[in-house]
Amino acid sequence: MAQAGYHGPLEQIDECRWRIPKSYKIGMRVEGQIFADERLIEQIRTDQAPEQVANVAFLPGIQLASLAMPDIHWGYGFCIGGVSATDPAEGGVISPGGVGYDINCGVRLVRTNLMHEDVQPRLGPLMEALFRQIPAGVGTGGPYLFGGKEMRRLLAEGAPYLVSRGWATPGDIEHTEAGGCLPDAQPDSVSRRAMERGGDQCGTLGSGNHFLEVQVVDEVLDEPAARTMGLKKDLVCVMIHSGSRGLGYQVCDDALVVLRKAPAKYGIELPDRQLACAPVHSDEGQAYLGAMRCAANYAWANRQLLMWQTREIFAEFFGRSWESLQMNLVYDVAHNIAKMEQHEIEGRRRLVCVHRKGATRAFPPEHPEVPAQYRQIGQPVIIPGDMGRASWVLVGQPGSMRLSFGTTCHGAGRVMSRTAAVQHAKGRRIDRELAEKGIIAKCRSWKGLAEEQPAAYKDVSLVVDVVHRAGLARKVARLRPIGVVKG
Amino acid sequence: MYEIFEHTADLGIRVCAGSLDELFADAARGLFGVMVANVEGVKLVQEETFQLPGSNREELLHDWLSELLYTFYTRRLVLAEFHVQVGAAGISATARGEPLDPRRHEISGEVKAITWHGLKVEQLADGWRAEVIVDV
Repeated sequence: MAQAGYHGPLEQIDECRWRIPKSYKIGMRVEGQIFADERLIEQIRTDQAPEQVANVAFLPGIQLASLAMPDIHWGYGFCIGGVSATDPAEGGVISPGGVGYDINCGVRLVRTNLMHEDVQPRLGPLMEALFRQIPAGVGTGGPYLFGGKEMRRLLAEGAPYLVSRGWATPGDIEHTEAGGCLPDAQPDSVSRRAMERGGDQCGTLGSGNHFLEVQVVDEVLDEPAARTMGLKKDLVCVMIHSGSRGLGYQVCDDALVVLRKAPAKYGIELPDRQLACAPVHSDEGQAYLGAMRCAANYAWANRQLLMWQTREIFAEFFGRSWESLQMNLVYDVAHNIAKMEQHEIEGRRRLVCVHRKGATRAFPPEHPEVPAQYRQIGQPVIIPGDMGRASWVLVGQPGSMRLSFGTTCHGAGRVMSRTAAVQHAKGRRIDRELAEKGIIAKCRSWKGLAEEQPAAYKDVSLVVDVVHRAGLARKVARLRPIGVVKG
Repeated sequence: MYEIFEHTADLGIRVCAGSLDELFADAARGLFGVMVANVEGVKLVQEETFQLPGSNREELLHDWLSELLYTFYTRRLVLAEFHVQVGAAGISATARGEPLDPRRHEISGEVKAITWHGLKVEQLADGWRAEVIVDV
């Protein structure tokens, strides 16, 4: 399969939006819309991601438009950066491909009360301690083991279950999207294989693009919002990016096997097998939703345990408790998930199934699902960038409810394939290049760093600019990495 | 034989072989080749057998590679030699290798899953070709 560009139509709607008209392909039920500016759209045309936006518009029950965020890139079936909402009352479907294999892959940001100058002199040993103690790497297990009954509770109850085990506080739960638990999770729908793959992986980072970064607040663009989150210039934070590990991959894979026959059974025509789906109100759809919610709950517990270990490492390293270091969770967001949400569509409130694949919820101020502390400023949105440039903290804006089912972008988005990135890194030492910029990067393999080098990604700041201007989310603070642990 | 091809966020494995049996065996080599950098040093000390039902070749290829992934992650077995028989009702296979030893085996990447996107098994004039994109 050659990596050819997209040659179909892209009509400019406004400064930040482009349309793929419904007439582009017979079978599209709605149009496609891509959020991008003129600079990003040129790059977006270079692969087949826009074609995938058009393909998603075939899904039964899809509302308004098949949407994509400015960090869109070519995925399998659905593009990465895609958002679609389906209405079960109109035969709307659920598609595991619209969530992805890494169910509830997401990001959390933890603050500290340490300033950059306090940490910089000891950064080397701190990164060494994090690298040594945070379980990471392919298929690696961790210190937390959940037996049959415990695993079932973890899957059904998510991060709140960890409060009872002493590994989470009520404050952590309050600052996690959905309170760290999707209701109606059905452990009975999770296969033995999935449980087996997840048994010892809760509290482990994984590999690929997952990371733990020590960051400093580089610039504050919205003082009141930053203050509400406990952020200020030069403050040290920790960002954690991981998902549901082997358990989630297996849940997705199991569902796709079951759904092989569903499109024919329900008379659904699809342009790509990876879009396999079933009506939300079907046995297959309900079984996937029940299992997907378990994987999402597992992922929230995973990031909670990663944060808990980070707190313990900091406490030991700095000789103070994590409470006295004020290592509070700012917020945790999911960026690969499907959720039932209320949205106003064509003047009517409807319960729709919102698929976010590489996209982040961004609820505006006053939304009832935003925790009380943030009700005035909007839901915090955490956008990880590449390991050499920046990450961002935003807050959800009212535009997201009008334009994108309460959603914004999720990251930088790749521009280079992994093989191209490895080629590009030949003869170079990415860790030394980063060290020259004052960033200590720790990874188990040269190839891991090569694949994730900054040049493999779009500049996240260009992506964030678009969602800011489009009114989906507002910039609050930019963070820059000073230490990176890669899986 | 197999080769790796590019896909923005993921990796593709393209396999060419004279027979379906070899095609499935080479695809398995390709999968472990993506995950373990020095797969040629794997000792063939343990043997596993597999029986997978099905008649659709693409579904079978997906199921076969998924089964190997599951074996790798849950039993931590690195497999390097494969003998596959593709029949009308499914495949039977044996695979040989050894338990993962992080001191000797250089893990080069995590394959999360075998995707259905662009999955192809085709008969050519002189043999068979398959393409599969894996989620990494």
